[in-house]
Amino acid sequence: MPGMRTNQMNIVVNEQVIAIPAGSNIEQLLERLESPLKGSAVAVNQNIVSRSTWAEYILNEGDQISLFQAIAGG
Amino acid sequence: MLFNKMPSNDPLVIADKTFTSRLFTGTGKFNDQQTMVAALQVSQSELVTMALKRVDLQRKDDDILAPLIKQGMNLLPNTSGARNAREAIFAAQLAREALQTNWVKLEIHPDPKYLLPDPIETLKAAEALANDGFVVLPYVHADPVLCKHLEAAGCAAVMPLGAPIGSNKGLKTIDFLEIIIEQANIPVIVDAGIGSPSHAALAMEMGAAAVLVNTAMAVAGDPVAMSEAFAKAVQAGRQAYLAGLAGQVNHAVASSPLTAFLQVG
Repeated sequence: MPGMRTNQMNIVVNEQVIAIPAGSNIEQLLERLESPLKGSAVAVNQNIVSRSTWAEYILNEGDQISLFQAIAGG
Repeated sequence: MLFNKMPSNDPLVIADKTFTSRLFTGTGKFNDQQTMVAALQVSQSELVTMALKRVDLQRKDDDILAPLIKQGMNLLPNTSGARNAREAIFAAQLAREALQTNWVKLEIHPDPKYLLPDPIETLKAAEALANDGFVVLPYVHADPVLCKHLEAAGCAAVMPLGAPIGSNKGLKTIDFLEIIIEQANIPVIVDAGIGSPSHAALAMEMGAAAVLVNTAMAVAGDPVAMSEAFAKAVQAGRQAYLAGLAGQVNHAVASSPLTAFLQVG
Protein backbone atom coordinates (compact mmCIF):
# COMPACT_ATOMS: atom_id res chain seq x y z
CA MET A 1 0.00 0.00 0.00
CA PRO A 2 1.99 2.96 -1.26
CA GLY A 3 -0.27 5.41 0.56
CA MET A 4 0.65 3.90 3.94
CA ARG A 5 4.36 4.26 3.33
CA THR A 6 4.43 7.99 3.42
CA ASN A 7 2.59 8.13 6.74
CA GLN A 8 4.21 5.21 8.54
CA MET A 9 7.78 4.51 9.46
CA ASN A 10 9.54 1.45 10.82
CA ILE A 11 11.55 1.61 14.01
CA VAL A 12 13.10 -1.10 16.14
CA VAL A 13 12.11 -1.33 19.78
CA ASN A 14 14.10 -3.84 21.82
CA GLU A 15 14.96 -5.81 18.68
CA GLN A 16 11.38 -5.83 17.40
CA VAL A 17 10.40 -3.94 14.27
CA ILE A 18 7.24 -1.90 14.64
CA ALA A 19 5.48 0.60 12.43
CA ILE A 20 4.41 3.92 13.89
CA PRO A 21 3.11 7.14 12.35
CA ALA A 22 5.90 9.18 10.79
CA GLY A 23 6.91 12.11 12.97
CA SER A 24 6.02 10.39 16.26
CA ASN A 25 7.89 11.46 19.35
CA ILE A 26 9.07 9.25 22.22
CA GLU A 27 6.14 10.05 24.44
CA GLN A 28 3.71 9.01 21.69
CA LEU A 29 5.65 5.81 21.17
CA LEU A 30 5.37 4.86 24.85
CA GLU A 31 1.65 5.63 24.83
CA ARG A 32 1.25 3.42 21.79
CA LEU A 33 3.17 0.62 23.52
CA GLU A 34 1.07 1.16 26.67
CA SER A 35 4.27 1.54 28.61
CA PRO A 36 4.16 3.64 31.78
CA LEU A 37 6.12 6.90 31.51
CA LYS A 38 7.11 6.68 35.16
CA GLY A 39 9.76 4.09 35.79
CA SER A 40 10.80 3.90 32.15
CA ALA A 41 14.02 4.88 30.47
CA VAL A 42 14.68 5.21 26.75
CA ALA A 43 17.82 5.14 24.64
CA VAL A 44 17.73 5.96 20.93
CA ASN A 45 20.62 4.53 18.93
CA GLN A 46 22.44 3.87 22.22
CA ASN A 47 22.05 7.43 23.48
CA ILE A 48 19.92 7.89 26.58
CA VAL A 49 17.20 10.48 26.08
CA SER A 50 16.23 12.54 29.11
CA ARG A 51 12.58 12.17 30.04
CA SER A 52 12.09 15.94 29.99
CA THR A 53 12.66 15.94 26.23
CA TRP A 54 10.55 12.89 25.27
CA ALA A 55 7.66 14.99 24.02
CA GLU A 56 9.92 16.93 21.63
CA TYR A 57 12.17 14.11 20.52
CA ILE A 58 10.97 13.14 17.02
CA LEU A 59 11.86 9.61 15.97
CA ASN A 60 13.24 8.76 12.55
CA GLU A 61 12.84 5.78 10.24
CA GLY A 62 15.18 2.98 11.31
CA ASP A 63 15.88 4.31 14.81
CA GLN A 64 16.96 1.64 17.27
CA ILE A 65 15.12 2.19 20.52
CA SER A 66 15.98 0.52 23.80
CA LEU A 67 13.18 0.62 26.33
CA PHE A 68 13.83 -0.17 29.98
CA GLN A 69 11.55 -0.43 32.98
CA ALA A 70 12.05 -0.55 36.74
CA ILE A 71 11.31 -3.99 38.17
CA ALA A 72 11.67 -5.75 41.51
CA GLY A 73 15.22 -6.49 42.57
CA GLY A 74 17.61 -6.74 45.48
CA MET B 1 0.79 -2.79 66.28
CA LEU B 2 4.29 -1.59 65.44
CA PHE B 3 6.96 -1.10 68.04
CA ASN B 4 8.51 2.33 68.28
CA LYS B 5 11.23 3.40 65.97
CA MET B 6 14.65 4.29 67.26
CA PRO B 7 14.87 7.71 68.89
CA SER B 8 15.18 10.42 66.29
CA ASN B 9 18.49 11.57 67.78
CA ASP B 10 20.23 8.64 66.08
CA PRO B 11 19.61 9.33 62.42
CA LEU B 12 21.61 7.80 59.61
CA VAL B 13 22.72 10.38 57.09
CA ILE B 14 23.84 9.33 53.63
CA ALA B 15 24.54 12.10 51.14
CA ASP B 16 21.41 14.29 51.08
CA LYS B 17 19.05 11.90 52.89
CA THR B 18 18.38 11.18 56.55
CA PHE B 19 17.05 7.79 57.60
CA THR B 20 15.35 6.80 60.83
CA SER B 21 15.37 3.10 59.97
CA ARG B 22 18.68 1.34 59.50
CA LEU B 23 17.09 -1.57 57.71
CA PHE B 24 17.26 -1.24 53.94
CA THR B 25 15.31 -3.72 51.87
CA GLY B 26 15.16 -5.26 48.45
CA THR B 27 12.02 -5.79 46.42
CA GLY B 28 12.96 -9.04 44.66
CA LYS B 29 11.66 -12.58 45.09
CA PHE B 30 8.39 -11.80 46.88
CA ASN B 31 5.54 -14.07 45.78
CA ASP B 32 3.25 -11.18 44.98
CA GLN B 33 3.15 -7.43 45.11
CA GLN B 34 0.69 -7.30 48.00
CA THR B 35 3.00 -9.35 50.23
CA MET B 36 5.95 -7.20 49.22
CA VAL B 37 4.18 -3.98 50.10
CA ALA B 38 2.95 -5.35 53.45
CA ALA B 39 6.39 -6.68 54.35
CA LEU B 40 8.16 -3.45 53.44
CA GLN B 41 5.66 -1.46 55.45
CA VAL B 42 6.19 -3.58 58.57
CA SER B 43 9.97 -3.47 58.09
CA GLN B 44 9.77 0.35 58.42
CA SER B 45 12.41 0.51 55.74
CA GLU B 46 12.88 3.88 54.09
CA LEU B 47 15.15 2.80 51.25
CA VAL B 48 14.33 0.00 48.83
CA THR B 49 16.36 -1.37 45.96
CA MET B 50 15.01 -1.96 42.48
CA ALA B 51 16.41 -3.29 39.24
CA LEU B 52 16.07 -2.20 35.64
CA LYS B 53 15.11 -4.46 32.80
CA ARG B 54 14.85 -4.27 29.05
CA VAL B 55 11.11 -4.37 28.41
CA ASP B 56 9.71 -7.49 26.76
CA LEU B 57 7.00 -6.09 24.52
CA GLN B 58 5.17 -9.44 24.50
CA ARG B 59 5.18 -9.93 28.24
CA LYS B 60 4.92 -6.79 30.33
CA ASP B 61 5.98 -6.79 33.98
CA ASP B 62 3.84 -5.42 36.79
CA ASP B 63 4.28 -1.78 37.66
CA ILE B 64 5.87 -2.14 41.08
CA LEU B 65 6.83 1.49 41.27
CA ALA B 66 3.43 2.99 42.08
CA PRO B 67 2.88 1.24 45.46
CA LEU B 68 6.42 2.04 46.58
CA ILE B 69 6.12 5.71 45.71
CA LYS B 70 2.74 5.78 47.44
CA GLN B 71 4.42 4.47 50.58
CA GLY B 72 6.97 7.28 50.44
CA MET B 73 9.93 4.97 49.89
CA ASN B 74 13.27 6.25 48.71
CA LEU B 75 14.31 4.24 45.69
CA LEU B 76 17.76 2.78 45.20
CA PRO B 77 18.11 1.42 41.68
CA ASN B 78 20.81 -1.18 41.19
CA THR B 79 22.95 -1.98 38.17
CA SER B 80 22.33 -5.71 38.41
CA GLY B 81 23.07 -7.41 35.12
CA ALA B 82 26.05 -5.22 34.35
CA ARG B 83 29.19 -7.23 33.67
CA ASN B 84 31.68 -4.38 33.51
CA ALA B 85 32.10 -0.70 34.31
CA ARG B 86 30.82 0.46 30.93
CA GLU B 87 27.57 -1.46 31.26
CA ALA B 88 27.13 -0.38 34.88
CA ILE B 89 27.55 3.29 34.00
CA PHE B 90 24.97 2.94 31.23
CA ALA B 91 22.60 1.16 33.64
CA ALA B 92 23.06 3.88 36.26
CA GLN B 93 22.30 6.58 33.70
CA LEU B 94 19.18 4.72 32.59
CA ALA B 95 18.08 4.27 36.19
CA ARG B 96 18.57 7.96 36.85
CA GLU B 97 16.11 8.69 34.04
CA ALA B 98 13.67 5.93 34.95
CA LEU B 99 13.46 6.67 38.65
CA GLN B 100 14.54 10.31 38.65
CA THR B 101 17.16 9.73 41.32
CA ASN B 102 20.93 10.09 41.28
CA TRP B 103 21.29 7.34 43.88
CA VAL B 104 22.63 4.05 42.60
CA LYS B 105 23.56 0.73 44.10
CA LEU B 106 26.55 -0.13 41.96
CA GLU B 107 26.81 -3.86 41.46
CA ILE B 108 28.94 -5.57 38.85
CA HIS B 109 28.98 -9.33 39.06
CA PRO B 110 29.97 -11.06 35.84
CA ASP B 111 29.81 -14.59 37.25
CA PRO B 112 26.23 -15.86 37.58
CA LYS B 113 27.03 -18.73 39.94
CA TYR B 114 28.40 -16.81 42.93
CA LEU B 115 27.46 -13.27 41.84
CA LEU B 116 30.66 -11.99 43.42
CA PRO B 117 31.36 -8.33 42.68
CA ASP B 118 34.21 -7.47 40.31
CA PRO B 119 36.43 -5.10 42.34
CA ILE B 120 38.36 -3.62 39.43
CA GLU B 121 35.34 -2.76 37.30
CA THR B 122 33.44 -1.57 40.40
CA LEU B 123 36.18 0.91 41.33
CA LYS B 124 36.35 2.19 37.73
CA ALA B 125 32.60 2.68 37.54
CA ALA B 126 32.44 4.23 41.02
CA GLU B 127 34.98 6.90 40.09
CA ALA B 128 33.15 7.77 36.89
CA LEU B 129 29.69 7.83 38.48
CA ALA B 130 30.78 9.87 41.52
CA ASN B 131 32.36 12.39 39.14
CA ASP B 132 29.08 12.52 37.23
CA GLY B 133 27.16 13.50 40.38
CA PHE B 134 25.78 10.12 41.39
CA VAL B 135 25.35 9.07 45.01
CA VAL B 136 27.20 5.78 44.67
CA LEU B 137 26.68 2.83 47.02
CA PRO B 138 28.89 0.04 45.72
CA TYR B 139 28.27 -3.64 46.46
CA VAL B 140 31.68 -5.13 47.16
CA HIS B 141 33.47 -8.03 48.73
CA ALA B 142 34.47 -7.42 52.34
CA ASP B 143 37.81 -6.00 51.28
CA PRO B 144 39.02 -3.20 53.58
CA VAL B 145 41.57 -1.89 51.07
CA LEU B 146 39.03 -1.72 48.26
CA CYS B 147 36.56 0.02 50.58
CA LYS B 148 39.13 2.75 51.31
CA HIS B 149 39.70 3.20 47.57
CA LEU B 150 35.96 3.51 47.04
CA GLU B 151 35.72 6.05 49.82
CA ALA B 152 38.50 8.07 48.19
CA ALA B 153 36.68 7.79 44.87
CA GLY B 154 33.75 9.66 46.38
CA CYS B 155 31.29 6.89 47.21
CA ALA B 156 28.57 7.85 49.68
CA ALA B 157 28.71 4.49 51.48
CA VAL B 158 30.12 1.01 50.94
CA MET B 159 28.10 -2.19 50.89
CA PRO B 160 30.35 -5.14 51.71
CA LEU B 161 28.91 -8.64 51.59
CA GLY B 162 28.51 -11.08 54.45
CA ALA B 163 28.14 -14.05 52.11
CA PRO B 164 27.03 -14.58 48.49
CA ILE B 165 23.75 -12.96 47.46
CA GLY B 166 20.72 -14.99 48.48
CA SER B 167 22.80 -17.61 50.32
CA ASN B 168 21.43 -16.72 53.79
CA LYS B 169 24.72 -17.85 55.30
CA GLY B 170 25.29 -14.85 57.53
CA LEU B 171 28.44 -12.88 58.24
CA LYS B 172 31.08 -15.24 56.86
CA THR B 173 33.34 -12.24 56.32
CA ILE B 174 33.00 -10.97 59.88
CA ASP B 175 36.68 -10.27 60.63
CA PHE B 176 37.00 -8.16 57.49
CA LEU B 177 33.70 -6.38 58.06
CA GLU B 178 35.09 -5.32 61.45
CA ILE B 179 38.17 -3.84 59.81
CA ILE B 180 36.07 -2.05 57.19
CA ILE B 181 33.84 -0.55 59.88
CA GLU B 182 36.86 0.48 61.96
CA GLN B 183 38.51 2.27 59.03
CA ALA B 184 35.57 3.80 57.21
CA ASN B 185 34.65 7.46 57.30
CA ILE B 186 31.50 6.74 55.29
CA PRO B 187 28.55 4.53 56.31
CA VAL B 188 29.11 0.78 56.02
CA ILE B 189 25.98 -1.11 54.98
CA VAL B 190 26.30 -4.87 55.29
CA ASP B 191 24.66 -6.36 52.23
CA ALA B 192 24.12 -9.90 50.97
CA GLY B 193 24.12 -13.12 52.93
CA ILE B 194 22.10 -11.86 55.89
CA GLY B 195 19.75 -14.80 56.36
CA SER B 196 18.22 -14.29 59.77
CA PRO B 197 17.47 -11.49 62.23
CA SER B 198 20.39 -12.61 64.42
CA HIS B 199 22.78 -12.01 61.52
CA ALA B 200 21.36 -8.52 61.12
CA ALA B 201 21.60 -7.83 64.84
CA LEU B 202 25.22 -8.97 64.88
CA ALA B 203 26.13 -6.64 62.01
CA MET B 204 24.52 -3.73 63.83
CA GLU B 205 26.23 -4.62 67.15
CA MET B 206 29.54 -4.47 65.29
CA GLY B 207 28.80 -0.90 64.27
CA ALA B 208 27.45 -1.28 60.78
CA ALA B 209 25.49 1.83 59.83
CA ALA B 210 22.72 -0.25 58.27
CA VAL B 211 21.98 -3.62 56.70
CA LEU B 212 20.29 -4.52 53.45
CA VAL B 213 18.00 -7.53 53.51
CA ASN B 214 15.95 -9.05 50.71
CA THR B 215 15.91 -12.82 50.23
CA ALA B 216 15.63 -13.68 53.92
CA MET B 217 12.40 -11.70 54.11
CA ALA B 218 10.95 -12.41 50.70
CA VAL B 219 11.20 -16.20 50.81
CA ALA B 220 10.45 -16.65 54.53
CA GLY B 221 7.44 -18.73 55.50
CA ASP B 222 5.69 -15.54 56.56
CA PRO B 223 7.47 -12.63 54.90
CA VAL B 224 5.51 -9.98 56.79
CA ALA B 225 6.23 -11.45 60.24
CA MET B 226 9.87 -12.00 59.26
CA SER B 227 10.19 -8.38 58.18
CA GLU B 228 9.02 -7.24 61.59
CA ALA B 229 11.52 -9.59 63.23
CA PHE B 230 14.28 -8.04 61.13
CA ALA B 231 13.19 -4.54 62.09
CA LYS B 232 13.37 -5.45 65.78
CA ALA B 233 16.75 -7.15 65.36
CA VAL B 234 18.25 -4.14 63.59
CA GLN B 235 16.92 -1.83 66.27
CA ALA B 236 18.21 -4.08 69.08
CA GLY B 237 21.61 -4.42 67.45
CA ARG B 238 21.93 -0.69 66.98
CA GLN B 239 20.85 -0.05 70.56
CA ALA B 240 23.44 -2.56 71.83
CA TYR B 241 26.16 -0.89 69.77
CA LEU B 242 25.27 2.52 71.16
CA ALA B 243 25.06 1.13 74.70
CA GLY B 244 28.61 -0.20 74.44
CA LEU B 245 29.03 -3.97 74.56
CA ALA B 246 30.73 -5.50 77.57
CA GLY B 247 34.18 -6.86 76.76
CA GLN B 248 35.05 -10.55 76.54
CA VAL B 249 37.52 -12.33 78.83
CA ASN B 250 38.63 -15.98 78.97
CA HIS B 251 38.19 -16.57 82.69
CA ALA B 252 35.01 -16.32 84.78
CA VAL B 253 34.09 -13.06 86.41
CA ALA B 254 31.52 -13.60 89.15
CA SER B 255 28.17 -11.96 88.77
CA SER B 256 27.30 -12.63 92.44
CA PRO B 257 29.44 -11.67 95.42
CA LEU B 258 31.50 -14.70 96.47
CA THR B 259 30.82 -14.78 100.18
CA ALA B 260 32.17 -17.70 102.13
CA PHE B 261 29.08 -18.30 104.27
CA LEU B 262 28.45 -21.89 103.07
CA GLN B 263 31.85 -22.94 104.32
CA VAL B 264 31.52 -21.26 107.67
CA GLY B 265 30.70 -23.43 110.65
